Amino acid sequence: MNTKGDKSKDGESSHAKKKSRRPKYSRFSQQELPACKPILSPGWVVSIFISIGVIFIPIGFASLLASERVVEMRFHYDHDCIPAKYKDDMIAFIQSNVTNKNCTRRLPVTTKMKSPIYVYYQLERYYQNHRRYVKSRSDSQLRSVSSEDSTDNCAPESFATNGQVIVPCGLVAWSLFNDTYKFSVKNRSLGVNKKDITWKSDREKKFSSDVYPKNFQSGGLIGGARLNSSIPLSQQEDLIVWMRTAALPSFRKLYGKIEEDLEAHDEITIEIQNNYNTYSFNGRKSLILSTAGWIGGKNDLLGIAYLTVGGMCLFFAICFILMYVIKPRPLGDTSYLSWNRSASGGQFNF
Amino acid sequence: MSGWNRSSRSRLGGRNNATLERTSTTQTVRLGRVQPQAPGHRTIYCNDREANLPVKFVGNSISTTKYNFFTFLPKGLFEQFRRVANLYFLGISILSTTPISPVHPVTNVVPLSLVLFVSLVKEAFEDWKRFQNDMTINNNSVDVLQDQKWESIPWKRLQVGDIVRIKQNGFFPADLLFLATTNPDGVCYIETANLDGETNLKIRKALEKTWDYSTPEKASEFKGEVQCEQPNNSLYTFTGNLIIDKQTLPLTPSHILLRGCSLRNTEYIVGAVVFTGQETKVMMNTMNVPSKRSTLERKLDKLIIGLFITLFCMCLIGAIGSGVFINYKYYYLGLRGSKGENSSYSSFNPDNRFLVVILTMFTLITLYSTIIPISLYVSIEMIKFIQSTQYINNDLRMYHIESNTPALARTSNLNEELGQVEYIFSDKTGTLTRNLMEFFKCSIGGEVYGTGITEIERGIAQRNGIKLNEESKSTNTVHEKGFNFADAKLMRGAWRNEPNPDLCKEFFRCLAICHTVLPEGDESPEKITYQAASPDESALVIAAKNFGFFFYRRSPTTICVRESHVEKIGSVQDVSYEILNVLEFNSTRKRQSVVCRYPDGRLVLYCKGADNVIYERLANGQDDLKKVSREHLELFGSSGLRTLCLAYKDLSPDVYESWNEKFIQAKSSLRDREKKLDEVAELIENDLILVGCTAIEDKLQEGVPTCIETLARAGIKIWVLTGDKMETAINIAYACNLINNEMKQFIISSETDVIREVENRGDQVEIARVIKDEVKKDLKRCLEEAQHYLHTVSGPKLALVIDGKCLMYALDPTLRVMLLNLSLNCNSVVCCRVSPLQKAQVTSMVKKGAQKITLSIGDGANDVSMIQAAHVGVGISGQEGMQAVMASDFAIAQFRFLTDLLLVHGRWSYIRLCKVITYFFYKNLTFTLTQFWFTFYTGYSGQRFYDDWFQSLYNVIFTALPVIIVGLFDKDVSASLSKKYPELYREGIRNVFFKWRVVATWAFFSVYQSLVFFFFVTRSSDRGVNSSGKMFGLMDVSTMAFTCVVVTVNLRLLMTCNSITRWHYISVGGSILAWFIFIFVYCIVDRKKNVYYVIYVLMSTFYFYMALLLVPIVALFGDFVYQGMQRWFFPYDYQIIQEIHRDEPEGRSRDDLLEIGNNLTPAEARSYAVAQLPREISKHTGFAFDSPGYESFFAAQLGVYTPQKAWDVARRASMKKIAKKK
Repeated sequence: MNTKGDKSKDGESSHAKKKSRRPKYSRFSQQELPACKPILSPGWVVSIFISIGVIFIPIGFASLLASERVVEMRFHYDHDCIPAKYKDDMIAFIQSNVTNKNCTRRLPVTTKMKSPIYVYYQLERYYQNHRRYVKSRSDSQLRSVSSEDSTDNCAPESFATNGQVIVPCGLVAWSLFNDTYKFSVKNRSLGVNKKDITWKSDREKKFSSDVYPKNFQSGGLIGGARLNSSIPLSQQEDLIVWMRTAALPSFRKLYGKIEEDLEAHDEITIEIQNNYNTYSFNGRKSLILSTAGWIGGKNDLLGIAYLTVGGMCLFFAICFILMYVIKPRPLGDTSYLSWNRSASGGQFNF
Repeated sequence: MSGWNRSSRSRLGGRNNATLERTSTTQTVRLGRVQPQAPGHRTIYCNDREANLPVKFVGNSISTTKYNFFTFLPKGLFEQFRRVANLYFLGISILSTTPISPVHPVTNVVPLSLVLFVSLVKEAFEDWKRFQNDMTINNNSVDVLQDQKWESIPWKRLQVGDIVRIKQNGFFPADLLFLATTNPDGVCYIETANLDGETNLKIRKALEKTWDYSTPEKASEFKGEVQCEQPNNSLYTFTGNLIIDKQTLPLTPSHILLRGCSLRNTEYIVGAVVFTGQETKVMMNTMNVPSKRSTLERKLDKLIIGLFITLFCMCLIGAIGSGVFINYKYYYLGLRGSKGENSSYSSFNPDNRFLVVILTMFTLITLYSTIIPISLYVSIEMIKFIQSTQYINNDLRMYHIESNTPALARTSNLNEELGQVEYIFSDKTGTLTRNLMEFFKCSIGGEVYGTGITEIERGIAQRNGIKLNEESKSTNTVHEKGFNFADAKLMRGAWRNEPNPDLCKEFFRCLAICHTVLPEGDESPEKITYQAASPDESALVIAAKNFGFFFYRRSPTTICVRESHVEKIGSVQDVSYEILNVLEFNSTRKRQSVVCRYPDGRLVLYCKGADNVIYERLANGQDDLKKVSREHLELFGSSGLRTLCLAYKDLSPDVYESWNEKFIQAKSSLRDREKKLDEVAELIENDLILVGCTAIEDKLQEGVPTCIETLARAGIKIWVLTGDKMETAINIAYACNLINNEMKQFIISSETDVIREVENRGDQVEIARVIKDEVKKDLKRCLEEAQHYLHTVSGPKLALVIDGKCLMYALDPTLRVMLLNLSLNCNSVVCCRVSPLQKAQVTSMVKKGAQKITLSIGDGANDVSMIQAAHVGVGISGQEGMQAVMASDFAIAQFRFLTDLLLVHGRWSYIRLCKVITYFFYKNLTFTLTQFWFTFYTGYSGQRFYDDWFQSLYNVIFTALPVIIVGLFDKDVSASLSKKYPELYREGIRNVFFKWRVVATWAFFSVYQSLVFFFFVTRSSDRGVNSSGKMFGLMDVSTMAFTCVVVTVNLRLLMTCNSITRWHYISVGGSILAWFIFIFVYCIVDRKKNVYYVIYVLMSTFYFYMALLLVPIVALFGDFVYQGMQRWFFPYDYQIIQEIHRDEPEGRSRDDLLEIGNNLTPAEARSYAVAQLPREISKHTGFAFDSPGYESFFAAQLGVYTPQKAWDVARRASMKKIAKKK
């Protein structure tokens, strides 16, 4: 009995001995993966600075040049287009149904503008990105007829007074911008093309060609523009532009395109239908005529930024070179080691 | 009234201090605390399972798992939600389902559930491992008596009342009642190292009534009834009765064999199971280890709190802004409402601005929730888990081939704590030393013999740049366990040609005769084994055997020695010496003598003992020998060897006879027998003739001195806490290079005359008072001196040696500050004779009092409390006991692996985690701040800048993996350089990488970058963006910004890396790619939202590419300049080291190359090393000797008094004879 027990135990132990618990070697577990070990030596710092500078400065010049080529004309009309007698009560003017909101102004063209000339309206202090506003829309309703009834987020513009759903519902659509502009040069009116002012994806996928406006602006309070209920949403490009809500409280939106060149010293006559109420919240409205280059509209910021960064890189490169000359530190100078620096105090720092 | 109060206090004062001390620390330490006992007692019917059935005793299986199958989910989830971050996100998730939330619930639910899932999987995995561990313990087999046979069953099936048999070196599976043994006199020897760390064997003795039940046939007849106390955790007490044959026999602790101990020097024993499983005393001592959190994580908590405060401020600013902003004039917001209005209207009611503020507050909290890095904890856990399971557990540098033990990280919580340790508390036996005594050198008649080199000599030589070539083990040197002596001058009778052959003879005879060892087994030099109470003794006897004086038989009155080469070379003769008296060793006498009569009638007293004791008793004359021998003693001592002086004296028959009468009288006296025996011994132990001295190496674990030196250079202070005697402890401190002769030593000992005198008087109150006063006086004196030395520029290094009894009083709250001050000023501290409880007290004194990070390392159950008390507990594995390992956080096989564990793994973990944490902080702050800036432009409405999915996946996908890769792979300097420059470790001790300044720097750049992201992207995109003049909407801009954030944040990570593997590239590239793939797919799939097609719109413009090139570079510009400046003007140490070794390829072979080769011959090297030893001011001679004990020292300290009985060798020998005859 005993011997049997012993044997089995011995068997176990010899078995255990054979089974080594030695960890297997792998580069991972021994933490010896091949690695590159960059050391940010002054050489590297300087050369990185220089190369960034060398790359950025030309880009900066290129984009600044592109931006310079863009001609932009801007005209604030919110104050200008209020008749003198209403200057004290602009809100009453804008909200009234009877006041004449037409307003004609002339603008000189300083530089030649090549077609296409883009017409933008710009609103300031208009919080299109307010949480309540942004939420108040129904994308599914816009996209398909079948979900016309999904107006969950559209409050308070979900249902018309007759209890039917509003299409398009929500505050965003309701507050659609409704100023209109007409342009003429030398008494020859310029056509404003309002086609293809939206991103293609919006037109084709987000706004259905089967959905027609219903019960829109039929409530007691009229927010903005009305929509022709015989035109499907996908062709209501003003609405589509408006509903791509802007990021900041001052924003531009594309109104249309003038597909004629404007010569320098031409005088452009603008007929503005000043309907939209920005007066109650002291917002500003302006009209912008601009050409576009490869970089888009007039955008000096990019070019300046590129130039500044490039310049600063070169500047720092020079600084580092100077510092290297003035206060050199050989790589791997052991006198910089903390235990060498405080050799006396190092042992007894309690 | 007041007078009464005062008197009562003073009466109680002295005694109370001690008890108070004990109770006040019980919260932190479990070992040694006596729990309240259940009333009544238990009755156990031995060998009768049915009879025990009605009382449901617990089984013998143990479980250390946290969960079982059913409790896993609720308990695990509860554990998870105890983390503030998780709870916070649960709250946020609930909040985001309400209409006030600007974000979809998915934003917070997805990360939270991912985090919870990963954490739970990890918990389950760890618990499963624990379960498996328990199973292996529970399935150990033990022999149980069944049907008159021994049946082998697993431990877990053992029941109370079973009769079991334990074989030699086996562990007791439960608390047993000792019944019978193969030893004839009913005793067995047990090793309790697992319980108290004491390595001398303890004797247990069975009741005489049960001696016979050692065979299965006999044992099955045993029907006893045990009535005993209920299970409790007091290791040193046991009360109960054994009722056998209607006779009631009282049981004492000496009849009980505790689980965790092992059987030694006994073939097997038979016992009855009394307590099982969780009810065993050792298990009741180690329950519910509280999980530890690292200091870094606690600092992290502060950072998180800081983030919460930031969050609150941000929300408050936004909320107040919202309250101010909201107005009916913004008619397009439809604030007046109309039909079909839902509750969300109320959140922007200008008539109730206060409500608007409150609600916006909640809105913003959900919006800014990303500032709290939810995936931080789970990422850290994953990193640490992989670090511990893949790196620490698999490190070949920490694999011990001899014991086949790799390192084991038992918890993954504390990896980075290893990188900040400042104090190490080390046990001695089994940790620093192997508990293996080897006869190493000796000095006979003024000649040193033995050519070995100790570790400390090797260390000194190494420090002086000399490589000692190990002398190849020639065939003529004998090396067996206990004997590691190489010198041909003494071997094989060559001693006859030495200057003093007669002294040599006496030397060897003294070794062979003057001891209390019992030979066992075959009487041949190869097969014999010696039973000795301490390894010192057997080493000496083995040495004698190897010198040709083979002690092979002992009877009550004789010792037989086979002497070789005495008459002439090659002659062998058996000589039997009559042993007349044995004068025992004890700690006050510090010596041991034997009076023997040669066959030719010569009467000799052989004596061995501490040098100072022997020197006092030497005969006049032989001054030269004394002087030379003392020099040798000092040499041995400073080499870390344990020394004993050997002396003899010829007695004339008349002197002896008259003395012997007194001796017999003393021996038979009833009162103060011990004291009288000591006095009588004093009468004859004088006028001795010095023979020489022995030097025994308390074999250190491999590489200990080097390791200690490396750790010291790393700024770590090492304290030795040991249960050993002061001499032994000091000796080891010398051997480990913790103390050397150049250091100023402060010794606070209770072994002074004043204290001893008071103790003899026996008034407990007075003893306490006197010791306290003495300790106070000593402390004060030492502290003053220490401060004096500190003020001098190049004062000596300081060392403190204190013993347990003094420590007990020094730890008193009134003296504690002084002790702490003194000990923190000392470079090494040695505490000897300390109990497990005191070890823990000392540890927590430094941990709490000095706020330093502590590490305890030990191997036995006596270290458990210390291991648990320290920040990091390390157990020595690969040996038999498992208690320390079970309580530890890390287990390594050898002390020297601490170098790798701390300097390599700990340091890397610390640096990596600092990086991970600060980076997490940075990336979430940056992201959230862009959101915050946007709030100012939305009328404080809390509109989200980013899409829900962007925000929810930002943390868990787009920026998750690279930071984990950095947490795993980042390496500032290679492992070999980490060890070559241990000073690098100090960066961790000073917590250089996670200071507020570091965090503030990150925060600064975080603000800068977020400003760049938000303002640059929004400002540069508010014009027509392509040649067709079209405009961007909110989602286009935010997608652009988000793209920049993802790219920048990932690139920023690369900038922090010290080493970039391809995994860095893959993960960083992959993360950026993941974002693009995600947005490509998402833009097509999700048509409900405004993000539809956004990325394609963006990518159709030049603007996108221009901005994508510019914004990240502008954002990183600041960081880059900062890094360049920092490295150039204020380089970290590791950066310098990187630069020094920038051209070296990394490889394992570096370690070998670092060693300086030299051409010294071994003899030259040795003599040089010896010459380097400081000796001129040496005081240390290295006496140490472990005496056999009947009962634990700690038991005695806890007030469990067992009278010290002599190790009655003669009687044991006689019993053996009788047994043989049978």
